[in-house]
Amino acid sequence: MTSCGNPNVEKDALMERRPKYDGKTKICVKCKENQGNVVIRHAVYCKSCFFPLVQTRFKRTLEPSINPAPDGPRRKALRAAGSLAVGFSGGTCSMTLLDLVAKTYLTTRPTGNESMKGGTDHPRNSERGVWKGKPTVCYVEVCGAFSGQIDQTEVIRAIVERYPNCPFEFIPLRLEDSFNPSWWSSVGGGNAVDSARSFGLDISDEELRLTHISQSTPPDSSALTALKAYLSSVPTLTAVNSTIQTLIRLLLFHTAAAHNASHLLLGTSLTSLSVNLISGIAQGSGFAVAEEAKEEWTPRPARGLPVRVVRPLRDVGVKECAIWNWWAGLHPVDRPWYPSGAGKNAVDSLTRDFIFGLETDYPATVSTIARTCGKLASKEDSDERCILCERPAQRRVQDWKAQISIRSYSDATPAVSGITKPTHLSDDEISNLTQAKQESKPEPSLAPYLCYACHTTLTSRSIRGMTAPLSAQRAKETPLPMWVRSTLDGVVAKDSVDSEMIQSKKLTSQDIKSQIEQYLIDE
Amino acid sequence: MSQLSLKVEFGGGIELLFSKKHTITVELPALVPTDDSTDDQSLMEDTAKEKKPANLAYLVLYLRDRLLTERAELFVENGTVRPGILVLVNDTDWQLEGEGDYELKDKDNIVFISTLHGG
Ligand SMILES: [Zn+2]
Ligand SMILES: [Zn+2]
Repeated sequence: MTSCGNPNVEKDALMERRPKYDGKTKICVKCKENQGNVVIRHAVYCKSCFFPLVQTRFKRTLEPSINPAPDGPRRKALRAAGSLAVGFSGGTCSMTLLDLVAKTYLTTRPTGNESMKGGTDHPRNSERGVWKGKPTVCYVEVCGAFSGQIDQTEVIRAIVERYPNCPFEFIPLRLEDSFNPSWWSSVGGGNAVDSARSFGLDISDEELRLTHISQSTPPDSSALTALKAYLSSVPTLTAVNSTIQTLIRLLLFHTAAAHNASHLLLGTSLTSLSVNLISGIAQGSGFAVAEEAKEEWTPRPARGLPVRVVRPLRDVGVKECAIWNWWAGLHPVDRPWYPSGAGKNAVDSLTRDFIFGLETDYPATVSTIARTCGKLASKEDSDERCILCERPAQRRVQDWKAQISIRSYSDATPAVSGITKPTHLSDDEISNLTQAKQESKPEPSLAPYLCYACHTTLTSRSIRGMTAPLSAQRAKETPLPMWVRSTLDGVVAKDSVDSEMIQSKKLTSQDIKSQIEQYLIDE
Repeated sequence: MSQLSLKVEFGGGIELLFSKKHTITVELPALVPTDDSTDDQSLMEDTAKEKKPANLAYLVLYLRDRLLTERAELFVENGTVRPGILVLVNDTDWQLEGEGDYELKDKDNIVFISTLHGG
């Protein structure tokens, strides 16, 4: 790539497509006996050697993370601290992941060739009972986000429940549960109805000010409405995609925590990991890049166990997954590749096209991307977590942005806007006292609690234009996911006591223009 | 034997582009026009066109022109299958069989699997 042009158009101009395999030998590199059936990163494997190959890579990635403390020189038996949760989408790699989990850890009795078609590496007795309790399989139905998409929950349930002896507990979730107080209390998040106040987000300008929503908690039935309002307030199609990914991620995290899971497995393959990493960097999440490969999440509010988020297929390409599924007779759930609303030209779709092209022509490059990103570490370690995506965040994303973009801030203002709750006053008294002040004083902002990527996701409209026009009122009262509201209750109050609230001053477009004038290039 | 009967299968969501059919049978002449045209006229035995043995590359174009019901760009790119679509010939990766140059034989089983919905 020479420039930031469209990789789809340019890659062929720069990189000649070439045959992947030189045809010198068709004999399997592993058994050196059988005719090969598949080429994986330039090496030829027969069908019988293919299954153990993929299973070995899966175990090699997953197993070192199973025991709470890393093993010493002698390998101990595998015993996890808690239960197992698997995030399942019904897609290609997800299918392979579930199948590998079932065949590696949950098969009650190895039954010859049937348990691992053609494989030789059968589950050993010592590998049973690695996790406590019955593993849960969590599926997040996203049809609520798009018009015209069908609900696949029952199709997914059938896939999960098809495994012999029902080794999995199926937990269907919906994207709109993010805004559903019943779901939130069911996962031990707390009682949102008793929460002192309810924040909404004013997404109509870049400061992301928090507003008090008059009606404290929406009833369950309006969770879908809240989801739609939230998504329609997100400025670009690229941002809608990453917002949905973030909601799915947190729904899975909280559900895993509620089930006392010590491990959450995701079906991210080498290929999709590379797509996520590159597209994440393009969208500003460079600070959290190392997390994408490996991460541990401590639930907030505190409960359950720290959840290790493991991507056991991160050394397995999507091609291997597709072949595994085909030969194992598994059929991923049909779904349009570019769901309506998720634009074909969104950053992640473009990245995906680019990576798939690379994988076809230069398979080694894709694993290099994943490996390189795994080594990236941010210079500044961070204890801060983003309130929205729970990834590590730099303290005060605005400070960072101030260094690299044109902004200005007024001095911090002492807390007077009603976010601390003096114990001797009732809610009504507080609201009476603060109402007048809110007229003149700026309200607290969500921005200090966001990572750079989430901040950009919510404010990138200036570059691309809105996905849909919002009514002024709706834009000012955009609902927030339950976990954001819950964390805000704690941290906003604390920070305002510390007088650390950073208020941002609104820039007019004239201000901005005059500040950047000298950098503008004539067209 | 001038006619080939091929079993063509679709997986991984690619069947959505072919009227949601998972399996179809394709009948092709063993010799097809060198210019890769796929219309009925060109496929007639008595056509004046120059001929070559039918290969996988030709089958891809034939499927695109004759059986694909939507969004050709998701199946074919630069005259071959789009990156992210796997092809198996009689259960073997087409990369081991010369890819598009593989000459089709009667009763061949050709599988197209999309990996584009990775999840
Ligand atoms: Zn072999
Ligand atoms: Zn974030």
